[in-house]
Amino acid sequence: MARDADVPQQIQTDAKIVVKGITSVFHLKKTRTTPAGEFIALNDINLEVRKGEFLVLVGPSGCGKSTLLDILAGLAHPTSGGVYIDGKKVTGPALDRGIVLQGYALFPWRTVRQNVEFGLEIKKVPKQERAAISDNFIHLVGLDGFADRFPHELSGGMKQRVAIARALAYDPEVLLMDEPFAAVDAQTRESLQDELLRIWEATGKTILFVTHSIEEAVFLGDRVAVLTPNPGTLREIVKIDLPRPRHNSDTRSSAEFGWIRRKIWELLQNAPSDARPHPNAVPVADAISPTAAL
Amino acid sequence: MGKNTVRKAGVILLFLALWELAPLIGLVDPVFIPRFSGVVQTILELYKTGEFVQHTRISLLRAFTGLATAVVIGLPLGLLLGGWFPRIRQATEPLMELFAVANPVILAHIIIFFLGIGESAKTFIIAWLCVWPIIFSTITGIRTADESLLKAARSLGLGRWQLFRLVVLPSAAPSLFTGLRLAAGYAFIMLIAAEMMGAGSGLGWFVLQSQENYHVLRLFAGATVITFLAVLTDVSIKLLQNRFAFWNGGPAENVLEQGRWMA
Repeated sequence: MARDADVPQQIQTDAKIVVKGITSVFHLKKTRTTPAGEFIALNDINLEVRKGEFLVLVGPSGCGKSTLLDILAGLAHPTSGGVYIDGKKVTGPALDRGIVLQGYALFPWRTVRQNVEFGLEIKKVPKQERAAISDNFIHLVGLDGFADRFPHELSGGMKQRVAIARALAYDPEVLLMDEPFAAVDAQTRESLQDELLRIWEATGKTILFVTHSIEEAVFLGDRVAVLTPNPGTLREIVKIDLPRPRHNSDTRSSAEFGWIRRKIWELLQNAPSDARPHPNAVPVADAISPTAAL
Repeated sequence: MGKNTVRKAGVILLFLALWELAPLIGLVDPVFIPRFSGVVQTILELYKTGEFVQHTRISLLRAFTGLATAVVIGLPLGLLLGGWFPRIRQATEPLMELFAVANPVILAHIIIFFLGIGESAKTFIIAWLCVWPIIFSTITGIRTADESLLKAARSLGLGRWQLFRLVVLPSAAPSLFTGLRLAAGYAFIMLIAAEMMGAGSGLGWFVLQSQENYHVLRLFAGATVITFLAVLTDVSIKLLQNRFAFWNGGPAENVLEQGRWMA
């Protein structure tokens, strides 16, 4: 199979992230009701992200958006194609990328501060320096006074703030966020979105944000990449020209916001007929986790 | 927590009061069930003459040697089977489950063929009974480590050993403590059985001797001290658990504490 061999290790580019011809195929085992086969999670995805850009990947479940994020994080390998950061091919996870997951994924035995310092410990940053950095990021996400609390003492929204602080603390250039706000209530979600934009503007990170919420995508992104399932295909990249800084009430109530939201909704609805989800497709896609093994 | 402790202490005090009163008011025959105060008095006398100190020391030593042996063998074995060698785990699981339910008292009689009735046979049989909950809880703890925690950690490029030390092992801690508490309970049960099967010292032997000589007060004194030691051990482990695995009491604890949430 064409794997890494025919993919160059380095390319010339000005873009921060280049996704080049990514195809990801899972082999399905034969079951009693279905024959053995292949499931194409991602089909020839090409994408470029500028330095400091906020790019959102939006699409229904089964469109391969989380798989793409795993590949970007270096936690999964594509069947063919390659991901480049600053022109260098991604071969595995590293500290140049930070990841924020839906389920917070905080270490329950570590305090807020110790969670935030986790990446710094891995990076072997001296203790005093670590404390200064974690103070800074705990302040950035608005959790002053909670540094010595444990995760089980925090609300969902606070936990996700800690997860963001943890991903930012070791100073990755790229932040990968996989439906980070999907598990919190609507109100917390909107305030977290506001706060994420503020943090993004303050830090200048390149952010790749995965969501299935069109509204969230339009509110946050510079551009929104619309993915359609079966096989996971990049349908279109929509530029979001809404002025910044964006604010919850003003931005969401503007006419352009509604117009762009509708446009993306139509893109997701009018997927080519052969790309419509197969009735059995969703459970299959959910059943496959390329990162399941330890 | 404070309220809970008071309630637990209250229940135990009530039981002791009942124990004191029942023989007094003729609810039970004081010849077979002596008053609690009499038992306490006997315990104090036995410690004063030095007779009990020796038996307590040897019993505790046996229990902890057996438990320690089980931990030293079971913990690394559980870690290896749970983390590194899933194939071997799958292959040996049915056998381990069979061994875990095999009757240890019957087994002890076979062990005596090989090791005699000395200390090594006692250590072996206590360790044998204690090792299974430790192995199983270690395997469970490792295998149920939160997938998203592992993902978050792996995204930082952690190596296998770092991942194990910083994420997998702490994740397993609550389950590990649950297994340790179970094993400690088993250790005291098996200790007494082993001492009754063949020994010349220890609290189990003392209880058997007292029973055969109709020393009812001494019998109760021995049984009470054994119970006290077992409870003390359990409470100590629980304190360690609250200190080192505070975020989750483990499955056994959750079942016990469920009533508190429903109330």
